[in-house]
Amino acid sequence: MSDSDHKRWSEDLAAYMLGALTPDETAGFERHLEGCERCQGEMRWFEPAVNSLPESVERQEPPPRLRAALMTEVRADAKPQRRPAKQRSWGWFSKPAVAFAVLVLAVALVGGYEIGKGGSDDSGGASTLVTREHGITVKMVRDGDGGTLHLANVHQLPPDKVLEAWVRREGTVEAVPALLVPDRKGQAETRIADMSGVDTVMVTEEPQGGSDEPTGQPIVTMSVPQ
Amino acid sequence: MAVRREKAERLADEELMPLVGRKDPEAFEVLYDRHGGAAYSLAYRIVGNPAAAEEVTQEAFISVWRSGARFDAARGSVRSWLLSVVRNRAIDFLRSKAGKAPKLDFDDESALEQRPATERTEEEALRRETAGEVRGAIGKLPGEQAKVIQLAYFGGFSHSEIAQILQLPMGTVKGRMRLGLEKIRGELAEGLA
Repeated sequence: MSDSDHKRWSEDLAAYMLGALTPDETAGFERHLEGCERCQGEMRWFEPAVNSLPESVERQEPPPRLRAALMTEVRADAKPQRRPAKQRSWGWFSKPAVAFAVLVLAVALVGGYEIGKGGSDDSGGASTLVTREHGITVKMVRDGDGGTLHLANVHQLPPDKVLEAWVRREGTVEAVPALLVPDRKGQAETRIADMSGVDTVMVTEEPQGGSDEPTGQPIVTMSVPQ
Repeated sequence: MAVRREKAERLADEELMPLVGRKDPEAFEVLYDRHGGAAYSLAYRIVGNPAAAEEVTQEAFISVWRSGARFDAARGSVRSWLLSVVRNRAIDFLRSKAGKAPKLDFDDESALEQRPATERTEEEALRRETAGEVRGAIGKLPGEQAKVIQLAYFGGFSHSEIAQILQLPMGTVKGRMRLGLEKIRGELAEGLA
């Protein structure tokens, strides 16, 4: 590239950085910039000056309602996004030591659960699994393709915490959409719409609003016979 | 996984952005708390009234929420990127209001003075100190250089429009822009030395 060619474009550099070129001029300048190390170097030198311009303005305090409105919109938008955990691996579950511990626990539970109302899938109707862990009674009532998870004797949670149920299906975990909110008697329940292929149900304590993946150890784990 | 607020507060902006890209409201909230004030101030400076500044800031942050993954750390800081999003939104807003003249304070020294406000963090205090230096740097510019920079950056005018407004040759406008930026850059470098 000749010096005169560079000089011609270099004259546009400040205008480009200040956003003062037309779209066509901008496109032309960017094509030049791609192959011009001198202009790239000059741009890097000017960057702090341009970046400082917005910092130079008189400071105004934004109204608190702006933050509130933004967060309302963001949280509403985040909720539907928060659920597609089907493709995610069960992060902590995949760690060997934890996986082993959970496996041991699951084996112990398999030995401990009762099957009510005529057993599991072969009953042709509703079946119930019951277990008890950490003083919490867990009951899974199966009906059709889904089931309802009931918890009893749940301790009172701090106000910023909720219980969230998870199901594991073919090695991946899914969050159960409805969070578990214990009532005054320590009872809570949530509906699991599709139990097909689910081999484990568990419950964890999560921050208000729930999480995309379990963030702590389960307070309840129930193995579901296939 | 949604991170908790306390954890998000410990993360650098560049670490928050991937979380925002994955729709983490806590990460977004921290980002707003850090930069919302500067964003709103910039929007207000450009559009000139509180209601419009609020609208522009909200739109800008929502666009960041929806396109957080587009942030490229190799091209600068999160704050600069975010403020450039706000600036572009504000200029678009001005342009959409046909016939509405942008708010310009060419030689109004008071416009460059700082309004006292709560300094919440050391980082914020440092930013304000830097802002003071920048105002000083801009304040030292010859009026004709400050004018073209402000018309371009805060007014959203192209160099040819500025040439028309000031009745100057386009080459003169571009030259003043470059000289002005060189001087600000020089002052900033001195301030750091």
